Amino acid sequence: MAGLELLTDQGYRLDGRKASELRKFQARMGVFAQADGSAYLEQGNTKALAVVYGPHEIRGSRSRALHDRAVINCQYSMATFSTAERKRRPHGDRKSTEMSLHLKQTFEAAVMTQLFPRSQIDIYVKILQSDGGNYSVCVNAATLAVIDAGIPMRDYVCACTVGFVDETPLADLCYAEESGGVSSLALALLPRGGQIALVQMDARLHQDHLETLIEAAMTACKGVSKVLDEVVRQHLQEASVHSRE
Amino acid sequence: GKVLPGDLTHYVVPDAGVVLNYLDVLELTELQGVVFTQTACEALRSKGRFYNHLRNLLKDPRHDCILFANEFQTYSHCPREKGESQETWQTCVYAAAVWFYNHLAGAMKVVMITEDQDAVARFGSLNSGVFVISVQQDYLQNFWPDLQEAHEVYRNISQVLQEKESEDSQREFSEHLPAEIVEAGIKSGRYLKGTLNVNRYRAQSEAFVTNEEFSNKSPLINGVLVFGFKSRNRAVHGDLVAVELLPKSKWRGRGTALAEGPLDENSGEDGESNPLPTHIVGILQRNWRDYVVTFPPRDGNQNQSRGSQRILAVPWDQRIPKIRISTQQADALQDHRVLVRIDSWPSNSLYPNGHSVRVLGRVGDMETEVQTILLENSINVPPFSEAQQLREMPAQPWTVDPTEVAKRRDLRDTHLVFSIDPRGCEDVDDAMSVRSLGDGLLELGVHIADVTHFVREGSLTDLEARSRATTYYLADRRYDMLPAVLSADLCSLLGGVDYAMSVLWELDAQSLAYKDVWFGRTLIRSSYQLHYELAQALLNGEEAPVPELAQLDPKERAAKLSELTAALEKLTLVARHLRAQRDQGGALELEGLEVKALADSLDQAVDPEDPLVNRLLRMMATQAMSQALYFSTGSQPDHQFYHYLALDRYTHFTSPIRRYADMVVHRLLTAALQVGQEAEPARKLEGNKDLEELAEHINTRNRAAKQAQTQSVALFQYLFFKERDPQTDPRCVADSIIYAIRDNGVLVLVPRYGVKGPVYMKTKTGEVVTAGPDGTCEWQSGTVQRHPDHIVTTCGCGSTTFRLFDHITVRISVLPSNCHADTLKLEVISNKPHRSSAPQRPDSQGRSQLVQEVVRLAEEAQEKAAQRPKLSKWEREFQQSRAPNLYSILEEIRELALM
Repeated sequence: MAGLELLTDQGYRLDGRKASELRKFQARMGVFAQADGSAYLEQGNTKALAVVYGPHEIRGSRSRALHDRAVINCQYSMATFSTAERKRRPHGDRKSTEMSLHLKQTFEAAVMTQLFPRSQIDIYVKILQSDGGNYSVCVNAATLAVIDAGIPMRDYVCACTVGFVDETPLADLCYAEESGGVSSLALALLPRGGQIALVQMDARLHQDHLETLIEAAMTACKGVSKVLDEVVRQHLQEASVHSRE
Repeated sequence: GKVLPGDLTHYVVPDAGVVLNYLDVLELTELQGVVFTQTACEALRSKGRFYNHLRNLLKDPRHDCILFANEFQTYSHCPREKGESQETWQTCVYAAAVWFYNHLAGAMKVVMITEDQDAVARFGSLNSGVFVISVQQDYLQNFWPDLQEAHEVYRNISQVLQEKESEDSQREFSEHLPAEIVEAGIKSGRYLKGTLNVNRYRAQSEAFVTNEEFSNKSPLINGVLVFGFKSRNRAVHGDLVAVELLPKSKWRGRGTALAEGPLDENSGEDGESNPLPTHIVGILQRNWRDYVVTFPPRDGNQNQSRGSQRILAVPWDQRIPKIRISTQQADALQDHRVLVRIDSWPSNSLYPNGHSVRVLGRVGDMETEVQTILLENSINVPPFSEAQQLREMPAQPWTVDPTEVAKRRDLRDTHLVFSIDPRGCEDVDDAMSVRSLGDGLLELGVHIADVTHFVREGSLTDLEARSRATTYYLADRRYDMLPAVLSADLCSLLGGVDYAMSVLWELDAQSLAYKDVWFGRTLIRSSYQLHYELAQALLNGEEAPVPELAQLDPKERAAKLSELTAALEKLTLVARHLRAQRDQGGALELEGLEVKALADSLDQAVDPEDPLVNRLLRMMATQAMSQALYFSTGSQPDHQFYHYLALDRYTHFTSPIRRYADMVVHRLLTAALQVGQEAEPARKLEGNKDLEELAEHINTRNRAAKQAQTQSVALFQYLFFKERDPQTDPRCVADSIIYAIRDNGVLVLVPRYGVKGPVYMKTKTGEVVTAGPDGTCEWQSGTVQRHPDHIVTTCGCGSTTFRLFDHITVRISVLPSNCHADTLKLEVISNKPHRSSAPQRPDSQGRSQLVQEVVRLAEEAQEKAAQRPKLSKWEREFQQSRAPNLYSILEEIRELALM
């Protein structure tokens, strides 16, 4: 039995997308009243909720405070019902710790932390439904939440996973593609300057293909940034209408 | 992608059921404008049958069919209704057809075909511009009333389907295990995975499962045994299967019954290793292809099955089981060879079910037999289509394009270019030149036809050439890789201006040491087309008429002739020098050592009284060597490929007209030449993976070409002797030489006809051959004893010894076999060499006469002598080392042994 045909001869993927097509975005900002910033994002069937508190004083031990910039604290978790198999997911398991760390690195690169010395920014992200590209959806959701909180950032941070099949890069992988033996790469980009906040890849890939893959990832991230921008502008418009009333 | 032509009367959309069952009808090229829906393809894929077949069909530019991804189209997608299975999801196909019709704005009629009468009733009256009709009654009869082939295939398949439904369920075989269990078993080591190889000589009982992995693990185990038809469990030769070891109680040794089995070339020495007995639990991948079968002559026994429509046909390949075929033409097809496809092998059936695809012809006709050989080797050589022949070829008469002239180095006026080929050769793909540059330098040029200029990568001609991969030479004909316009005219370096790919070496005129080399595309004008005899005559200083000079006046002719002769002499000098250099070089290289030692020992193994002995030894030495293969250098680490031909790197590009591999090399070379320049290559070069696949394809094609050639030679030998009465015709008695000893006989070569075959010394009833005092042999009861180098037959009146390399006289007669390839039977009539009154003819002549004779007998007007792929002598001298390498030995032997 041959494996799944990830890319047909006609250039369609399993879910009918073309190779460089992104999944459908659905987003809302400001979903919680008590948090400083929050956002809900659906990318295809992957759904994430991000909440931001801060900047505020360092809670707990004061020794963690940095004298010249803010500390970013990230926490990633997955809902028990987020995957096909219902499973209790305790906090602080290896996978989520790693993911939290990645998120922290990404946002340290993007948030202008030097404006808030000796303070702390908390970013909590929860995956409600997981269908591939968890990291990128979390980054995108968190970006929206940080913007909602009004914390200054250098630029949007946009992330996207790309995979490589039949010499073609596939943008924004879904779960079936991720688990179908594709070597995938996750990339977080500050699109205006083209700076890369984070690249992560733990599959085998020939060196020759890396450049095309990163190229494709950056294009996809720029696409994501356009969508996010639209979401933010829409939200602002709605908010201003509300406040005028 | 492909686009459907606009000049059709309608487009046809088959539903899932039709695609599943009647793909054979749809794949006829005559049916144009087929739109496969994604729904149908997915249904096919979920069944796992013929999905790749369909994919290839969609890729093939010769078929007018496309895939419509209807499930991905917003307006044509409709959700599956509850309880609707994938195969009967007609709504979706119908919606797709309607969308398609509207999309074309009604400009083209769209016909949906289905086998489901309900669907016809449901959708037919919706009246949205799409016709919904059934395949047979409405579609084929109304739209294709003349396409008999389609009707025939349709009938065959529907009959098979009907029978499948009404099959009684008596088990003949155990069920195959589900795929997951087999996969898990293979991982845990309980089952082994491998390819099934059926023993050609004991096809009913013995088969082996081989796998590269086990032969790597230990050289002793080269496969496991699958004994008996039942434990083979419906696997067919070539399938990828999973096997399980049998419990110890069922173990038994491998049949060592050489006495009853026919002699085969390989079963000599391997009696010691006893492979482990196993049985097949699952089939991972069917490798069914289309098989040639013979319909048996009708006799009373076949009538018992109901309707008497089911015939057990016997495949030409002994390794394939009989195939049950349902047909209404059983009477008409008696003694015909037919191409069939296996449909299924249910566990309640002793034989697989199949349906006929194409009738080849009557058994014994030359055309039928040649077609059989081609098909059995999977050689598909339809005539070149109009598109390939005309549309892609430059307009005739062809003229040199000035823009090309600017890009190429012009050698027309500066170089004296000529070609040397066998007499009557039509496709001249290499030519050479030599000239003195002054300053003690000599320039040697080899010019190869620039085929890739005419055949653009990815064009139809290129695709066809790629799928053929090589020109096929059979005993009496050949199938060209490229259309005749190219191979015989445009690309041939005949007189006139030609595009060429040239290599120019600068050599020191005295020492002939290598100075510099230049590769590139050029423009040449071949001045002479010589053949070997003529070139030799010119070298010897004999008076020989050169056709190109016949018109000139004597003075001019003499001047030109001396110029040509000087060039030839220089070339000969260079050739001798290179050969001498290679002889030295061969001894120095480590990996060359073995080769040279072998070549030397072969050179010394000469029996002064018998030149044949040396030839036989060489032939046997080559048989033991493995065939050279193409591969992509990127796919193997460097140290894996140095030893081919005792050279560091080796490739060839001298015959692009008849070898696709050479075209690939040409393209690579062109790309390499362009790297330095500004211009980017027009197309991306093929990646390593593609090249590897291509090399693998070319290898299988080459193997098939070789096999087909051997088989066609055997066929002609058979046809030649079929016409003779062995008892009276003196030509059926010939001298032969023993080259191998087996338990119950010897293997001999008949040099006169190039026939190789077994001679039995013992019959099944226990009679043995004994020679009388005058050498004549008779059959008497006795025993046979085998020794390493001789075989002794003993009977009441004494014993006779046959030694290796003895000459004996044999009588050649035919052993007709209705269903398989016919063979020749050799009978010993005397243990003395045959003294014929007629002088012995050289082999190659004898053979070409044999072929001609057969062709004449078959009332073929065309008389074509055997054409083997010929490596020109000059090419061999310039391109390859000569004496001590395997390649030349192989070439020589091929010529001598008439393979």
